[in-house]
Amino acid sequence: MRKCKFEDMIDGYLLNRLSQGDRELFEEHYFNCSSCFEKLQERDLIIRTIKNHPEALTQESEVRVPFFSRLKTELAAMFTPRQFVLAGVTAVLLLVVIFALVPRQQIPAPSFSLTDEETVRGSSITLISPVIDMGQVPASFEWKKLGENIEYQVSIYNHELLWKATTKENRITLPEEVRAKMVPGEKYSWQVKAFSADGTLIAVSSKVQFKIADR
Amino acid sequence: MTVKKKEEDVQELIIRYRPIITFRVRKALGAQNPEADDLVSEIISQVLEKIQTGEFRRESSLGTFIYTITSRRIVDYIREKTKAIKYAPEAQPYPDPQETLESQENSQKIREALSRLKPKYRQAIYLYYYQELSREEVARTLGVSPRKVSELVNYALKLIRKEIKL
Repeated sequence: MRKCKFEDMIDGYLLNRLSQGDRELFEEHYFNCSSCFEKLQERDLIIRTIKNHPEALTQESEVRVPFFSRLKTELAAMFTPRQFVLAGVTAVLLLVVIFALVPRQQIPAPSFSLTDEETVRGSSITLISPVIDMGQVPASFEWKKLGENIEYQVSIYNHELLWKATTKENRITLPEEVRAKMVPGEKYSWQVKAFSADGTLIAVSSKVQFKIADR
Repeated sequence: MTVKKKEEDVQELIIRYRPIITFRVRKALGAQNPEADDLVSEIISQVLEKIQTGEFRRESSLGTFIYTITSRRIVDYIREKTKAIKYAPEAQPYPDPQETLESQENSQKIREALSRLKPKYRQAIYLYYYQELSREEVARTLGVSPRKVSELVNYALKLIRKEIKL
């Protein structure tokens, strides 16, 4: 498009910014230059539309500002360039300290060892029988099953360990020689510990006391 | 020159210069002035008369000749009005309710084009044309160079022009 040197006066003319001399010069020009008059009409319509409908320019303009450029503007308002550099250097130093230096000085994690009374999973074994005073020496001991492939260790105490045995069932029958050691009027207690196939202790029952009644 | 040729010339002259005279008159009188159209017709009659009586001697271009007649008539009109109401009617080119259907359509297209502009262009256009800030003031407001303001405004105009056919 061929550009007429008068085209630059269009805005000035429409926005009443030209001196009287320039205005008259431009008016005489557009009476003679159809290209400039066409552009003048076009620009006039554009400016008139803007004047009559400024909302076309202002609506949503807040929303349309992209997040990153808004962030950039806000950051720029917060810091001078010098502060920006300082903040950057500080951040890098902090990261070095956190990720490179701190792990080397870390105290090794404490290793846990379980006592006999502790359980790994926190589940426990419920003992079923005997849990109350018995009329005679119990023939067998029974508890709730925990799952498959579990080995149970049953211990029976009076003042000290009387008998200890393991089974994969959830009940065990006392051998005769052990029953013979148990006498009426005495207090006994028993406990079951469960071990997984690899030998890890997974559950412990509470120690339950029972008494064998006097005859 | 035959009579028929002369009549064709007259028609051509009116078709070409009526919009220009109308633009000039409305700019001076305000778009809402109901007398604007009468004044335009009057000016055209004067032009034709002066051409017929040989007052237009082709010392200047026809455009300049018509421009001179138009300007004089506008000055006279304002002088008459000033006598009657003591001050000239203020030129108020915006808003213009006398939009033609075509320009209404184009105005709608311009609005759509405006709302599609990227924020940086919209800001520049808003400040420059709506708030009528100078190029330098817009530059200061946006924190860019005056040259950049011209670039923004010109590019936005280019995008808008694509949408309309005048």
